[in-house]
This record gives sequence, structure tokens and C-alpha cells, in this order.
Amino acid sequence: MRGRVKVDLLSLAAGAVTALVGALVLFDSSGALDIPLGWMGVALAAALGAILLFSGLGGDEERHD
Amino acid sequence: MNDDTPTIEQPEEDDRQRGAGSAETEAETAETAIQTRRLLRSSADRVFFGVAGGLGRYFDVDPVIFRIAFALSIFFGGLGALAYVLLAIFVPADGEPDRAQELGGRLRRAGVWRALGFVAIGILALMALLALAGGAAFAVAVGWGVPTAIVIIAIGVVLAAQAFWGGARWLIAPAVALAMGAGVAAAADLDFRGGIGQREYNPLSAKAIPADGYRLGVGQMVVDLRDLDWKSARVVHLRVDLGAGQANVYVPERVCVTGTTHTGTGESEVAGERSQGFDLDQDPGSGSTAVPRLDIDASVDVGQLRVINSDTASVDTPGFGPGPFHQDTAPQRAAEASACGAG
Repeated sequence: MRGRVKVDLLSLAAGAVTALVGALVLFDSSGALDIPLGWMGVALAAALGAILLFSGLGGDEERHD
Repeated sequence: MNDDTPTIEQPEEDDRQRGAGSAETEAETAETAIQTRRLLRSSADRVFFGVAGGLGRYFDVDPVIFRIAFALSIFFGGLGALAYVLLAIFVPADGEPDRAQELGGRLRRAGVWRALGFVAIGILALMALLALAGGAAFAVAVGWGVPTAIVIIAIGVVLAAQAFWGGARWLIAPAVALAMGAGVAAAADLDFRGGIGQREYNPLSAKAIPADGYRLGVGQMVVDLRDLDWKSARVVHLRVDLGAGQANVYVPERVCVTGTTHTGTGESEVAGERSQGFDLDQDPGSGSTAVPRLDIDASVDVGQLRVINSDTASVDTPGFGPGPFHQDTAPQRAAEASACGAG
């Protein structure tokens, strides 16, 4: 598509999940939420998974270019 | 050999003679052939990754036999399935370049010192990321959780915004390292504000125990209440707060242990009841009002919490520890039941 801004999906996804994890840390540290370690582990694994997923999608995109 | 008068039989005879004469050479050739024969996954005869096909070719056996063996092994512990996966990973396919040779070629092209330099840079980068994660965890543990979280959110926003200007992928790894370290420390409620080291407390009366209890950031804490005058202090309230390490609380066998304990990650052993894992909560005594009684409120973020109701356990070598040194804690459970049931 011409005229469209090219978005680096990997950076966008990594930034979003980093901000989300930061928000969780903020809520937990301020006492607004008490997140158990197990659930934080799930959240961190999901964050890493999302980054890897977008990394894989980006790699596939580059190969087809 | 006779080359002057060749006959029809002569070539065969010559061959036999030549064969006898060069037996050693043939043996060497065969040995070389065995040495150079390599196990490769078959790209032509394959169902999944060509492992059975490669094995069949290597051993000169019908690959179907290996396929049936791999399939049956799933029902007998799955060792064959694991072997299949390992073979699929480590055995190259016959159409692929040898990975070891490929790596060797790259090293030769790049030069050994340059390659070692790349490896060293990689290790340093990994260590730097670990340091970042550790630094973030430490910041949260010393009470800077909110500022650390704000910094992480800001980095995330910058990273996301940069996606519209070509991206800033170099920032991803540091951002993830920071988020991981801070996230784990926050969820584990790590608290290093109590200092670092080894503390041992041996109060002789309930009044000698601080109202806010004993607190340690990182290290080992021992609270021995066995010399305390339990006749005058029938109910003792004790708060123990440890960030990371080991907290040991000793009480006499005749004292009922009640209250709540929490261990974020590690092991908890309270009056003989042991549990391991994450977010361990124990409430010993089942709300007993028996006296003498220890009403404990203990928290260990990462490590081991032990409340040992034993008159003989040594502070130096208590004998109640992790792994093979664990003793049978049945006597502690029996003492707790006896002490708490008396009321």
C-alpha cells in the first residue's frame, strides 16, 4: 500500500508488552494489586511468547520480500 | 600371473590371484567404506523427518521395522519417541550441508580470533542483560518499585512509538530484561530493606521481642525462643520478615505454634508440616487457644522458612534441612498436636 506508514510490528508488540508488564509492576509495588508469583510468571511467559511470535512473523515477512 | 598366453580361464585365475594378492587392500577399502559411512536422515524415504529411513539405509534393514519400533515405544515409556526427536535434531539430512563442517567453514572464513571475539561479545551482552534484570529486581526489592515500574512503562512506550519510525529493536532485549527482573521481584514481594547478613536472636522474655518483630533483607535469621520464660509469657506474638535466605524459629516442644506463615518461593516447614513451591501459606495450630502458644506471623520472600518445635534441635546443625538431610518430622507434628490439643 502506498502512502502507508511502515510499522515495525516487533517493536510495537515488544513495547506494548513491556509497558503492560511495567503496569503490573506498578500496581503490585503500589499495593493496588497483589499479584502472586505464579501469575506473574504466566504473564511474563506470555509477554515473551508474544515477542517471539511477532519476531517469527517478522522473519517470515522478510523472507518473502 | 601369465600375460603372454591369455586364455579364457586365465583372467579368472588372474583375478583370483590378484584378489589373493590384494586382500589387504580390499580390507582397507572396506574399512574405509565403513568409516566413511554416515548416519543421515533420508530425504527420499521419509514420513516425518526421515529418521527411520536413514536408519534403515544405514543398517540395511527395512525402515518399516524402525517405524513400527518407534510407534510402539510410545506405549512403553516413550524412550523411542525421545530418541526419534533427538535423532531428528542432531542427525543431518542427506540433502543438507553438514552443520559441523558449515560452522568450521564459517570459523575459517571469519578467523578464529574474530570468531572468539564474537563469542566473547555475546557472553558479555548476556551478562549485561542479566545485570539489568538483577538491577531492576534489586531496585524493586529496596523499595523503588514504583519508580522502576514507571521507567519500564516509559521504555515500553518509547519502544512502541519507535515502531512507527523504523523501530528500535536494539531496545527490546534490555526492556525485556528490566521488565522480567522487576516483575519477578515485585510478584515475589522481595524486600531487602532489612539489611544483609546473619542474625541470631535469643530473647529471654516476651518483652525483649520487638513489637514489629525481626526483619532481614538477605541472609540467615535464627530466632531461638527456647530460653524464653514461657511460664510468665503464656502467649508470645512474633513477626518474622525475611527477603531472601533462611529463617529458623525454634520453640520448645510443649509450645503450640499458631498463626500464619507465607513463603513466596522455596520451602516452608512449620511444626513438622513441610511444603515446597510457590506462594506457600501455612496456618499451623488450627486456631488453637492452647497455652503456652507462639502466635507467629512469618514471611519469607525467597528461600526457606522453618519453625522447629524441638527441644534438642541444634541451632548450628538443626538436622532439619532440604534434600537428603531432611529428618523425619513426625515427632514435630506429634509435639504440635499434643501442645495445641491441650487447650
